[in-house]
Amino acid sequence: MSTPGAGEGPAGGAGPSTVTASGTAYPGARGRPAWPGVVGLVARLVLGGVLVVAGTIKIVDITGSVQSVLAYQLFSYDVARFVGTMLPVVEIAAGLLLVTGLLTRAAAVAGSLLMAVFIVGIVSAWARGLTIDCGCFGTGGPVDPEDTRYLSEILRDVGLLALGAWLVVRPRTPLSLDALLTKGR
Amino acid sequence: MPRPPAPEVKQVSRGGPPLALIGGVVVLLVVLIGVLVWAATRGGGLDATGSSSTLPDGGGVSVGPGVDADVAQVRIYEDFQCPWCGRLENSVGDQLTEKAEAGEVNLTFQIMSFLDGSLGNDSSTRAANAALCADDAGVFVPFHASVYANMGQEGQGYTDEQFVQWAQDAGLAGGELETFQQCVADDTHADYVEAMQERANRDGVTGTPTMVVNGTTIGNEEMSRLMQDPGALDSILEAHS
Repeated sequence: MSTPGAGEGPAGGAGPSTVTASGTAYPGARGRPAWPGVVGLVARLVLGGVLVVAGTIKIVDITGSVQSVLAYQLFSYDVARFVGTMLPVVEIAAGLLLVTGLLTRAAAVAGSLLMAVFIVGIVSAWARGLTIDCGCFGTGGPVDPEDTRYLSEILRDVGLLALGAWLVVRPRTPLSLDALLTKGR
Repeated sequence: MPRPPAPEVKQVSRGGPPLALIGGVVVLLVVLIGVLVWAATRGGGLDATGSSSTLPDGGGVSVGPGVDADVAQVRIYEDFQCPWCGRLENSVGDQLTEKAEAGEVNLTFQIMSFLDGSLGNDSSTRAANAALCADDAGVFVPFHASVYANMGQEGQGYTDEQFVQWAQDAGLAGGELETFQQCVADDTHADYVEAMQERANRDGVTGTPTMVVNGTTIGNEEMSRLMQDPGALDSILEAHS
Protein backbone atom coordinates (compact mmCIF):
# COMPACT_ATOMS: atom_id res chain seq x y z
CA MET A 1 0.00 0.00 0.00
CA SER A 2 1.75 3.09 -1.15
CA THR A 3 0.20 6.15 0.32
CA PRO A 4 2.54 9.03 -0.32
CA GLY A 5 2.17 11.59 2.36
CA ALA A 6 0.86 9.01 4.79
CA GLY A 7 0.56 10.51 8.22
CA GLU A 8 -0.65 13.86 7.00
CA GLY A 9 -4.01 13.34 8.54
CA PRO A 10 -6.75 12.09 6.26
CA ALA A 11 -4.45 10.22 3.91
CA GLY A 12 -3.34 7.78 6.56
CA GLY A 13 -3.77 4.02 6.38
CA ALA A 14 -7.07 2.36 6.96
CA GLY A 15 -7.05 0.29 10.10
CA PRO A 16 -10.24 -1.54 11.01
CA SER A 17 -11.01 0.97 13.70
CA THR A 18 -11.18 3.82 11.23
CA VAL A 19 -13.66 2.27 8.85
CA THR A 20 -16.92 4.14 9.00
CA ALA A 21 -20.33 2.84 8.17
CA SER A 22 -20.23 4.22 4.65
CA GLY A 23 -17.11 2.24 3.94
CA THR A 24 -14.85 5.23 3.79
CA ALA A 25 -11.35 4.55 4.90
CA TYR A 26 -10.47 8.04 5.98
CA PRO A 27 -9.89 8.60 9.64
CA GLY A 28 -10.59 12.26 9.22
CA ALA A 29 -13.95 11.65 7.62
CA ARG A 30 -15.76 12.16 10.90
CA GLY A 31 -16.22 15.83 11.61
CA ARG A 32 -13.53 17.24 9.37
CA PRO A 33 -13.90 17.21 5.58
CA ALA A 34 -11.61 14.54 4.12
CA TRP A 35 -10.80 16.52 1.04
CA PRO A 36 -8.42 14.04 -0.61
CA GLY A 37 -11.21 11.49 -0.36
CA VAL A 38 -13.65 13.88 -1.96
CA VAL A 39 -11.14 14.71 -4.72
CA GLY A 40 -10.64 10.99 -5.34
CA LEU A 41 -14.38 10.38 -5.48
CA VAL A 42 -14.89 13.25 -7.91
CA ALA A 43 -11.93 12.06 -10.02
CA ARG A 44 -13.40 8.57 -10.17
CA LEU A 45 -16.86 9.77 -11.19
CA VAL A 46 -15.64 12.33 -13.75
CA LEU A 47 -13.01 10.15 -15.45
CA GLY A 48 -15.21 7.05 -15.20
CA GLY A 49 -18.27 8.89 -16.46
CA VAL A 50 -16.39 10.38 -19.42
CA LEU A 51 -14.98 6.97 -20.36
CA VAL A 52 -18.38 5.27 -20.17
CA VAL A 53 -20.05 7.96 -22.29
CA ALA A 54 -17.23 8.06 -24.86
CA GLY A 55 -17.16 4.27 -25.08
CA THR A 56 -20.92 3.95 -25.39
CA ILE A 57 -21.06 6.44 -28.26
CA LYS A 58 -18.42 4.37 -30.06
CA ILE A 59 -19.80 0.91 -29.33
CA VAL A 60 -23.21 1.66 -30.85
CA ASP A 61 -21.44 2.75 -34.06
CA ILE A 62 -18.39 0.56 -34.50
CA THR A 63 -18.11 1.42 -38.19
CA GLY A 64 -17.90 5.08 -37.23
CA SER A 65 -15.40 4.27 -34.51
CA VAL A 66 -13.15 2.49 -37.02
CA GLN A 67 -13.50 5.47 -39.38
CA SER A 68 -12.29 7.87 -36.72
CA VAL A 69 -9.24 5.71 -36.04
CA LEU A 70 -8.53 5.59 -39.78
CA ALA A 71 -8.79 9.38 -39.95
CA TYR A 72 -5.55 9.66 -37.95
CA GLN A 73 -3.85 7.98 -40.93
CA LEU A 74 -1.60 6.02 -38.62
CA PHE A 75 -2.88 2.49 -39.16
CA SER A 76 -3.89 0.18 -41.97
CA TYR A 77 -7.53 -0.86 -42.20
CA ASP A 78 -7.07 -4.11 -40.28
CA VAL A 79 -5.22 -2.49 -37.39
CA ALA A 80 -7.71 0.40 -37.34
CA ARG A 81 -10.59 -2.08 -37.25
CA PHE A 82 -9.04 -3.83 -34.24
CA VAL A 83 -8.30 -0.57 -32.42
CA GLY A 84 -11.70 0.92 -33.22
CA THR A 85 -13.43 -2.22 -31.97
CA MET A 86 -11.47 -2.75 -28.78
CA LEU A 87 -11.14 0.89 -27.74
CA PRO A 88 -14.78 1.24 -26.63
CA VAL A 89 -14.59 -2.11 -24.81
CA VAL A 90 -11.62 -0.93 -22.78
CA GLU A 91 -13.18 2.50 -22.24
CA ILE A 92 -16.49 1.18 -20.95
CA ALA A 93 -14.89 -1.50 -18.77
CA ALA A 94 -12.40 0.93 -17.19
CA GLY A 95 -15.14 3.56 -16.86
CA LEU A 96 -17.56 1.25 -15.07
CA LEU A 97 -14.80 0.03 -12.74
CA LEU A 98 -13.95 3.64 -11.89
CA VAL A 99 -17.56 4.70 -11.33
CA THR A 100 -18.18 1.75 -9.01
CA GLY A 101 -14.74 2.03 -7.42
CA LEU A 102 -13.76 -1.56 -8.12
CA LEU A 103 -10.08 -2.28 -8.85
CA THR A 104 -9.67 1.48 -8.81
CA ARG A 105 -5.91 1.61 -9.28
CA ALA A 106 -5.85 -0.79 -12.23
CA ALA A 107 -8.79 1.00 -13.87
CA ALA A 108 -7.12 4.37 -13.29
CA VAL A 109 -3.92 3.09 -14.92
CA ALA A 110 -5.96 1.97 -17.95
CA GLY A 111 -7.84 5.27 -18.09
CA SER A 112 -4.65 7.31 -17.79
CA LEU A 113 -2.94 5.29 -20.53
CA LEU A 114 -5.93 5.87 -22.81
CA MET A 115 -5.74 9.62 -22.22
CA ALA A 116 -1.98 9.61 -22.85
CA VAL A 117 -2.53 7.76 -26.13
CA PHE A 118 -5.29 10.21 -27.14
CA ILE A 119 -3.04 13.17 -26.41
CA VAL A 120 -0.22 11.68 -28.50
CA GLY A 121 -2.69 10.98 -31.31
CA ILE A 122 -4.09 14.51 -31.33
CA VAL A 123 -0.64 16.09 -31.13
CA SER A 124 0.53 13.94 -34.04
CA ALA A 125 -2.53 14.88 -36.11
CA TRP A 126 -1.97 18.53 -35.29
CA ALA A 127 1.72 18.32 -36.15
CA ARG A 128 0.93 16.72 -39.50
CA GLY A 129 -1.68 19.40 -40.20
CA LEU A 130 -4.47 16.85 -40.55
CA THR A 131 -7.84 18.57 -40.44
CA ILE A 132 -9.25 15.97 -38.17
CA ASP A 133 -11.73 16.01 -35.36
CA CYS A 134 -10.44 13.99 -32.44
CA GLY A 135 -12.32 10.73 -32.13
CA CYS A 136 -12.36 10.89 -28.36
CA PHE A 137 -16.11 11.27 -28.20
CA GLY A 138 -17.56 8.94 -30.72
CA THR A 139 -16.78 9.58 -34.33
CA GLY A 140 -14.03 11.90 -35.32
CA GLY A 141 -13.13 12.42 -38.91
CA PRO A 142 -11.96 15.16 -41.18
CA VAL A 143 -13.61 18.50 -40.52
CA ASP A 144 -13.17 21.98 -41.86
CA PRO A 145 -9.84 23.43 -40.74
CA GLU A 146 -11.48 26.21 -38.74
CA ASP A 147 -13.48 23.64 -36.81
CA THR A 148 -10.55 21.68 -35.45
CA ARG A 149 -10.15 22.14 -31.75
CA TYR A 150 -6.80 20.55 -31.09
CA LEU A 151 -5.80 22.69 -28.15
CA SER A 152 -9.06 22.46 -26.22
CA GLU A 153 -9.16 18.71 -26.80
CA ILE A 154 -5.58 18.29 -25.63
CA LEU A 155 -6.29 20.38 -22.53
CA ARG A 156 -9.40 18.36 -21.76
CA ASP A 157 -7.48 15.10 -22.04
CA VAL A 158 -4.62 16.46 -19.95
CA GLY A 159 -7.15 17.30 -17.25
CA LEU A 160 -8.59 13.80 -17.39
CA LEU A 161 -5.09 12.34 -17.34
CA ALA A 162 -4.40 14.33 -14.16
CA LEU A 163 -7.53 12.85 -12.54
CA GLY A 164 -6.36 9.38 -13.55
CA ALA A 165 -2.89 10.00 -12.16
CA TRP A 166 -4.38 11.17 -8.85
CA LEU A 167 -6.29 7.88 -8.60
CA VAL A 168 -3.22 5.81 -9.46
CA VAL A 169 -1.44 7.47 -6.54
CA ARG A 170 -4.44 7.46 -4.17
CA PRO A 171 -6.77 4.67 -5.24
CA ARG A 172 -8.60 4.58 -1.90
CA THR A 173 -11.74 6.64 -2.19
CA PRO A 174 -15.01 6.81 -0.29
CA LEU A 175 -18.14 5.10 -1.60
CA SER A 176 -16.19 2.50 -3.54
CA LEU A 177 -16.58 -1.25 -3.94
CA ASP A 178 -12.89 -1.50 -3.11
CA ALA A 179 -13.60 0.01 0.32
CA LEU A 180 -16.53 -2.38 0.79
CA LEU A 181 -14.46 -5.42 -0.18
CA THR A 182 -11.49 -4.49 1.99
CA LYS A 183 -13.70 -3.57 4.92
CA GLY A 184 -12.24 -4.99 8.08
CA ARG A 185 -8.89 -5.78 6.50
CA MET B 1 3.25 -15.93 30.51
CA PRO B 2 0.43 -16.87 28.14
CA ARG B 3 -0.27 -14.17 25.65
CA PRO B 4 -3.88 -13.28 25.24
CA PRO B 5 -5.39 -14.57 22.00
CA ALA B 6 -5.51 -12.08 19.18
CA PRO B 7 -9.17 -11.41 18.64
CA GLU B 8 -8.46 -9.10 15.75
CA VAL B 9 -7.46 -11.98 13.49
CA LYS B 10 -10.83 -13.61 13.98
CA GLN B 11 -12.51 -10.29 13.33
CA VAL B 12 -10.72 -9.92 10.02
CA SER B 13 -11.83 -13.30 8.72
CA ARG B 14 -15.40 -12.57 9.80
CA GLY B 15 -15.39 -8.98 8.61
CA GLY B 16 -13.79 -9.63 5.22
CA PRO B 17 -15.82 -10.14 2.10
CA PRO B 18 -17.46 -13.53 1.79
CA LEU B 19 -16.20 -15.77 -0.99
CA ALA B 20 -19.56 -15.47 -2.71
CA LEU B 21 -19.10 -11.71 -3.01
CA ILE B 22 -15.63 -12.07 -4.51
CA GLY B 23 -16.92 -14.76 -6.86
CA GLY B 24 -19.85 -12.55 -7.81
CA VAL B 25 -17.56 -9.64 -8.63
CA VAL B 26 -15.32 -11.85 -10.78
CA VAL B 27 -18.31 -13.28 -12.65
CA LEU B 28 -19.69 -9.77 -13.19
CA LEU B 29 -16.36 -8.61 -14.61
CA VAL B 30 -16.14 -11.56 -17.00
CA VAL B 31 -19.74 -11.04 -18.14
CA LEU B 32 -19.13 -7.30 -18.59
CA ILE B 33 -16.07 -7.84 -20.78
CA GLY B 34 -17.85 -10.59 -22.71
CA VAL B 35 -20.91 -8.45 -23.44
CA LEU B 36 -18.72 -5.51 -24.49
CA VAL B 37 -16.60 -7.61 -26.85
CA TRP B 38 -19.76 -9.12 -28.33
CA ALA B 39 -21.28 -5.68 -28.83
CA ALA B 40 -18.12 -4.37 -30.42
CA THR B 41 -17.53 -7.21 -32.87
CA ARG B 42 -21.02 -7.62 -34.27
CA GLY B 43 -21.79 -6.06 -37.63
CA GLY B 44 -19.18 -4.46 -39.82
CA GLY B 45 -20.05 -6.68 -42.80
CA LEU B 46 -20.74 -5.70 -46.36
CA ASP B 47 -23.50 -8.18 -47.19
CA ALA B 48 -26.52 -5.88 -46.69
CA THR B 49 -28.96 -5.56 -49.57
CA GLY B 50 -29.50 -2.02 -50.79
CA SER B 51 -31.98 -0.27 -53.05
CA SER B 52 -32.60 -0.81 -56.77
CA SER B 53 -29.41 0.79 -58.16
CA THR B 54 -26.95 -0.07 -55.42
CA LEU B 55 -23.85 -2.16 -56.03
CA PRO B 56 -23.10 -5.24 -53.94
CA ASP B 57 -20.67 -5.11 -50.98
CA GLY B 58 -21.75 -1.65 -49.89
CA GLY B 59 -20.37 -0.27 -53.15
CA GLY B 60 -22.75 2.68 -53.39
CA VAL B 61 -25.42 3.92 -55.79
CA SER B 62 -24.56 3.57 -59.47
CA VAL B 63 -25.98 6.09 -61.95
CA GLY B 64 -25.38 5.63 -65.66
CA PRO B 65 -24.45 2.75 -67.97
CA GLY B 66 -22.96 0.65 -65.14
CA VAL B 67 -19.61 -0.13 -63.56
CA ASP B 68 -18.71 -2.59 -66.32
CA ALA B 69 -19.42 -0.15 -69.15
CA ASP B 70 -16.48 1.06 -71.21
CA VAL B 71 -16.78 4.69 -70.09
CA ALA B 72 -15.04 6.85 -67.52
CA GLN B 73 -15.82 5.52 -64.04
CA VAL B 74 -16.35 8.30 -61.52
CA ARG B 75 -16.72 7.46 -57.83
CA ILE B 76 -17.69 10.16 -55.35
CA TYR B 77 -17.30 9.54 -51.62
CA GLU B 78 -19.58 11.98 -49.84
CA ASP B 79 -21.61 12.62 -46.73
CA PHE B 80 -24.89 14.51 -46.91
CA GLN B 81 -23.81 16.75 -44.03
CA CYS B 82 -20.45 17.67 -45.52
CA PRO B 83 -20.40 21.33 -46.65
CA TRP B 84 -17.61 20.76 -49.19
CA CYS B 85 -19.63 17.93 -50.72
CA GLY B 86 -22.40 20.48 -51.15
CA ARG B 87 -19.96 22.85 -52.87
CA LEU B 88 -18.89 20.09 -55.25
CA GLU B 89 -22.48 19.03 -55.99
CA ASN B 90 -23.66 22.57 -56.56
CA SER B 91 -20.75 23.20 -58.91
CA VAL B 92 -20.50 20.09 -61.09
CA GLY B 93 -23.32 17.84 -59.82
CA ASP B 94 -25.76 18.56 -62.63
CA GLN B 95 -23.14 18.12 -65.34
CA LEU B 96 -21.99 14.82 -63.87
CA THR B 97 -25.47 13.35 -63.57
CA GLU B 98 -26.35 14.55 -67.08
CA LYS B 99 -23.25 12.85 -68.46
CA ALA B 100 -24.11 9.70 -66.52
CA GLU B 101 -27.70 9.64 -67.72
CA ALA B 102 -26.48 10.22 -71.28
CA GLY B 103 -24.21 7.21 -70.89
CA GLU B 104 -20.95 9.16 -71.23
CA VAL B 105 -19.64 8.33 -67.77
CA ASN B 106 -20.74 6.04 -64.96
CA LEU B 107 -21.19 7.78 -61.65
CA THR B 108 -21.12 5.95 -58.32
CA PHE B 109 -22.08 7.67 -55.10
CA GLN B 110 -20.43 6.15 -52.05
CA ILE B 111 -22.60 7.76 -49.40
CA MET B 112 -20.84 7.86 -46.06
CA SER B 113 -22.40 8.75 -42.71
CA PHE B 114 -19.43 9.37 -40.42
CA LEU B 115 -20.26 13.04 -39.83
CA ASP B 116 -23.16 12.03 -37.60
CA GLY B 117 -20.60 11.25 -34.93
CA SER B 118 -18.80 14.59 -34.98
CA LEU B 119 -21.99 16.61 -35.41
CA GLY B 120 -23.88 14.71 -32.73
CA ASN B 121 -26.97 13.96 -34.80
CA ASP B 122 -28.18 11.20 -37.13
CA SER B 123 -28.96 13.26 -40.22
CA SER B 124 -26.23 11.76 -42.42
CA THR B 125 -27.55 8.26 -41.81
CA ARG B 126 -31.18 9.29 -42.25
CA ALA B 127 -30.48 11.29 -45.40
CA ALA B 128 -28.50 8.37 -46.86
CA ASN B 129 -31.41 6.03 -46.09
CA ALA B 130 -33.88 8.49 -47.63
CA ALA B 131 -31.73 8.74 -50.78
CA LEU B 132 -31.89 4.94 -51.11
CA CYS B 133 -35.67 5.11 -50.60
CA ALA B 134 -35.73 7.66 -53.43
CA ASP B 135 -33.63 5.28 -55.53
CA ASP B 136 -36.26 2.56 -55.01
CA ALA B 137 -38.80 5.03 -56.40
CA GLY B 138 -36.52 5.91 -59.34
CA VAL B 139 -35.81 9.50 -58.25
CA PHE B 140 -32.34 9.21 -56.72
CA VAL B 141 -30.71 11.90 -58.87
CA PRO B 142 -33.19 14.76 -58.22
CA PHE B 143 -33.48 13.79 -54.55
CA HIS B 144 -29.69 13.77 -54.17
CA ALA B 145 -29.50 17.25 -55.70
CA SER B 146 -32.30 18.55 -53.45
CA VAL B 147 -30.51 17.46 -50.28
CA TYR B 148 -27.41 19.48 -51.13
CA ALA B 149 -29.39 22.41 -52.55
CA ASN B 150 -31.20 22.76 -49.21
CA MET B 151 -28.26 22.18 -46.93
CA GLY B 152 -28.29 24.51 -43.94
CA GLN B 153 -25.54 25.40 -41.51
CA GLU B 154 -23.26 22.48 -40.70
CA GLY B 155 -24.86 20.50 -37.91
CA GLN B 156 -28.38 21.76 -38.57
CA GLY B 157 -29.36 18.39 -40.01
CA TYR B 158 -32.44 17.33 -41.95
CA THR B 159 -35.99 16.46 -40.96
CA ASP B 160 -38.14 13.65 -42.33
CA GLU B 161 -40.60 16.31 -43.53
CA GLN B 162 -37.84 17.78 -45.71
CA PHE B 163 -37.14 14.34 -47.20
CA VAL B 164 -40.81 13.90 -48.04
CA GLN B 165 -40.97 17.38 -49.55
CA TRP B 166 -37.98 16.67 -51.80
CA ALA B 167 -39.50 13.35 -52.86
CA GLN B 168 -42.67 15.25 -53.80
CA ASP B 169 -40.59 17.82 -55.68
CA ALA B 170 -39.04 14.91 -57.59
CA GLY B 171 -42.52 13.87 -58.72
CA LEU B 172 -43.57 11.22 -56.22
CA ALA B 173 -47.24 11.19 -55.26
CA GLY B 174 -49.96 8.86 -54.01
CA GLY B 175 -48.91 5.29 -53.30
CA GLU B 176 -45.29 5.91 -54.33
CA LEU B 177 -45.02 8.77 -51.89
CA GLU B 178 -46.54 6.65 -49.12
CA THR B 179 -44.05 3.87 -49.82
CA PHE B 180 -41.25 6.44 -49.67
CA GLN B 181 -42.54 7.84 -46.37
CA GLN B 182 -42.74 4.35 -44.90
CA CYS B 183 -39.21 3.59 -46.10
CA VAL B 184 -37.95 6.77 -44.42
CA ALA B 185 -39.86 6.09 -41.20
CA ASP B 186 -38.69 2.47 -41.01
CA ASP B 187 -35.05 3.31 -41.78
CA THR B 188 -35.40 0.45 -44.26
CA HIS B 189 -31.89 0.64 -45.70
CA ALA B 190 -30.02 1.19 -42.42
CA ASP B 191 -27.85 -1.91 -42.91
CA TYR B 192 -26.81 -0.89 -46.41
CA VAL B 193 -26.06 2.65 -45.22
CA GLU B 194 -23.68 1.17 -42.67
CA ALA B 195 -22.19 -1.10 -45.31
CA MET B 196 -21.46 1.95 -47.51
CA GLN B 197 -19.53 3.56 -44.64
CA GLU B 198 -17.73 0.28 -43.97
CA ARG B 199 -16.78 0.01 -47.63
CA ALA B 200 -15.39 3.57 -47.53
CA ASN B 201 -13.37 2.60 -44.44
CA ARG B 202 -11.92 -0.39 -46.28
CA ASP B 203 -11.15 1.83 -49.26
CA GLY B 204 -9.15 3.98 -46.84
CA VAL B 205 -11.19 7.09 -47.53
CA THR B 206 -11.09 9.37 -44.49
CA GLY B 207 -12.24 12.65 -45.99
CA THR B 208 -15.18 13.85 -48.03
CA PRO B 209 -15.64 14.71 -50.77
CA THR B 210 -13.22 12.30 -52.38
CA MET B 211 -13.51 11.84 -56.12
CA VAL B 212 -11.92 8.93 -57.93
CA VAL B 213 -11.78 8.86 -61.74
CA ASN B 214 -10.81 5.53 -63.30
CA GLY B 215 -9.03 4.54 -60.12
CA THR B 216 -7.11 7.80 -59.68
CA THR B 217 -7.96 9.95 -56.67
CA ILE B 218 -8.36 13.58 -57.68
CA GLY B 219 -5.91 15.77 -55.78
CA ASN B 220 -6.68 18.80 -53.64
CA GLU B 221 -5.77 21.33 -56.29
CA GLU B 222 -8.07 19.81 -58.91
CA MET B 223 -10.83 19.35 -56.32
CA SER B 224 -10.85 23.02 -55.42
CA ARG B 225 -10.94 23.92 -59.12
CA LEU B 226 -13.98 21.67 -59.52
CA MET B 227 -15.71 23.35 -56.59
CA GLN B 228 -15.05 26.85 -57.90
CA ASP B 229 -15.36 26.43 -61.65
CA PRO B 230 -17.97 24.11 -63.20
CA GLY B 231 -16.17 24.52 -66.50
CA ALA B 232 -13.15 22.64 -65.17
CA LEU B 233 -14.95 19.28 -65.17
CA ASP B 234 -14.33 18.23 -68.77
CA SER B 235 -10.61 18.88 -68.73
CA ILE B 236 -10.18 17.11 -65.40
CA LEU B 237 -12.17 14.08 -66.56
CA GLU B 238 -10.14 14.10 -69.77
CA ALA B 239 -6.86 14.23 -67.86
CA HIS B 240 -7.71 11.03 -65.98
CA SER B 241 -9.37 9.05 -68.76
